[in-house]
Amino acid sequence: MSRSPNQVTSVLAGVCMLAAVGSVHADETTGLTDTSIKVGVMGPFTGNASSYSKAEIGLIAYFKHINDQGGIHGRKFEIIQEDTTCEPAKGIAGAKKLIHQDQVFYLHGNSCSGVAMAVKPTIEPTGIPWIVAHAVNQDISKPPTKGIFHGVPAGPAYGTAMGKFVMSRPGTQRVGIITHTNDWAKNYCEPASEFMATKGVKPIVEVALERGQTDATAQVLKLREAKLDFILGCLYEAETVVFLRDAKRYGLRVPVMGTAGTDLENTLARLGDKDAVKDYYVLHAYIDNVDGPKMKAWNDIVLKYYPDETITGFSTISMASGVAAVKALEAAGRDLTRSKFIAELDKIKDLDTGILACRITWSADDRHGCKESAVAGFVNGKPTVLSGWNKPL
Amino acid sequence: MLLQLTVSGIAQGALYALIALSMTVLYRATTIVNFGHGDFVMGGAFIVYVAVIFFGLPFALAAIASIGLMFVLGLAVSRGFIDPIKTGPHIGFAMMSISIGYVLRGGARTLWGREVLPMPRVFDIEPIFVGGVVITGDAMIICSTVALLLVVFFLIFYKSQLGVIVQAVFQSERGATLVGIDVRGFHETMWGVGLAMGAIGGILIAPISLLHPDLGASFLIRGFAAMTLGGFGSLWGAVVGGLVLGLSEQYLGAYVSTALIDITAYLVIIIVLVIRPAGLFGRQVAVRV
Repeated sequence: MSRSPNQVTSVLAGVCMLAAVGSVHADETTGLTDTSIKVGVMGPFTGNASSYSKAEIGLIAYFKHINDQGGIHGRKFEIIQEDTTCEPAKGIAGAKKLIHQDQVFYLHGNSCSGVAMAVKPTIEPTGIPWIVAHAVNQDISKPPTKGIFHGVPAGPAYGTAMGKFVMSRPGTQRVGIITHTNDWAKNYCEPASEFMATKGVKPIVEVALERGQTDATAQVLKLREAKLDFILGCLYEAETVVFLRDAKRYGLRVPVMGTAGTDLENTLARLGDKDAVKDYYVLHAYIDNVDGPKMKAWNDIVLKYYPDETITGFSTISMASGVAAVKALEAAGRDLTRSKFIAELDKIKDLDTGILACRITWSADDRHGCKESAVAGFVNGKPTVLSGWNKPL
Repeated sequence: MLLQLTVSGIAQGALYALIALSMTVLYRATTIVNFGHGDFVMGGAFIVYVAVIFFGLPFALAAIASIGLMFVLGLAVSRGFIDPIKTGPHIGFAMMSISIGYVLRGGARTLWGREVLPMPRVFDIEPIFVGGVVITGDAMIICSTVALLLVVFFLIFYKSQLGVIVQAVFQSERGATLVGIDVRGFHETMWGVGLAMGAIGGILIAPISLLHPDLGASFLIRGFAAMTLGGFGSLWGAVVGGLVLGLSEQYLGAYVSTALIDITAYLVIIIVLVIRPAGLFGRQVAVRV
């Protein structure tokens, strides 16, 4: 018996609807099996920004720790790493691979803001949950979108902390800036400048030092001419070392406020000169010194799975958002979907991760989970967490 | 400020001059532009690092080892990778040099991956103060080493029998072959010399920069800019081009904008190619057909 065109059309429509429902359901549980949760971790594992990937290494160590504790509701993390080398093109390729080829359940990681901004258009339309664990550009998660969460202080929080510390030094009036000209650096220096402006101080000189430069003579001489009280240094690690080295060489002895893109121990190790770093301060997101008693358990987790790893100021930063992710996955229950995971992340309020100085709070209207940061500097030759100028915590 | 910028510019320019000269030596000998040269510079630096840190060699010995190894690598590259493709299109040489460079870089990444390594301070020379000008230990080492190397190089090139042979091959390979010069062996040797000179550049760069596999990339473009400015194929031009580039970066950065420092090399290439493509010391070549 032949069917009428209307009957064929109806059957076809029904099949399409079933396929659509099926595919929606597949999106919600993509990356899940009875025993595993696939998580994609992007980071600069190689290249000249590779020291930032210590953050992703710490995160992965934490996931392995959770796996050894039995996982979450019978599922263990299956971790898939993608190396971005801190280059947008590689980040985009990596994100596409994780989403479409590896079909991960969610994404967690990213140290480089430039890469995170570049991959955002790839990730956002898919609705896949993405916890940004290290990169600071506020525009990654602002305005809020369906699935993007910031698990570390973003630019405004960090920049404000920088500005507050600079202004906590009595008599600070003349401030200069040395900076990369990319969005990452602007995310630190602009909010810092805005905060200082509220105290009546504006930067009087700004110089650029781009990535890869090995000489900062011109920049140092211009800053030295300005007779400054404080310098904001919005630079990556390698260029910070070049700048501090040349600053000492040419007699620029002014306190320098660095970003979360450097840490004191690494900077000293690379400079090999305590005198060159004695006036250098960095953002410090943690509740204790990197090697303090409150950080020991977290450092031990990193070293358990990566015994050759050197613990620095980057090593545990992403573990905090890992704690938040695990909490949300546990709350979502065995019947896990992406929507449930996102909903549970949005319910996280004042979460004390035991790692960060801030408490993580997320909501559908505000995905900047962390709004505070401390500062650290060398006091008597030792890295010390500071609440203000000359004020150890 | 001008004098300080000049001192720094000369020190930086000396590095660029050395890299440009090593690329020019190879170009003059083989007509090949070694697009992977930055990675060979990086290789020279890493060999010294490994020799000093892992094998505990004194720096001088490590430097000699690096130069020797890179010379041998140059011979191997010429014999193993360049010779077999000699009958192919010239673009093949460029692709091969880029590929070899990337293989070196990948090898360094495999070994050192996430690490950005500080080269230990080898020479702790106190700076000299002349009035308000600081002449750093690094600047003194770089300038004196490059100056010595240039003197030796040009003495050999212009005053020795070996230099006569080199000039003969530079002028005419066919003529050199006819008088019994082993041109193939000469090419191999020049690959070795070019890479060895690049290694010296890496050895000088390492203490002033952090070591990482991408170290050579920024110096490669500056080497090109110096070659272009001085005139492709001109040995003296490479040296002068490097020095002028180093000074230009400092002056532009201080008196115009520090944002220009990073693009000075590209600006130089564009300006020279538009205004005087032969560069400062290059010659317009007429070909009879």
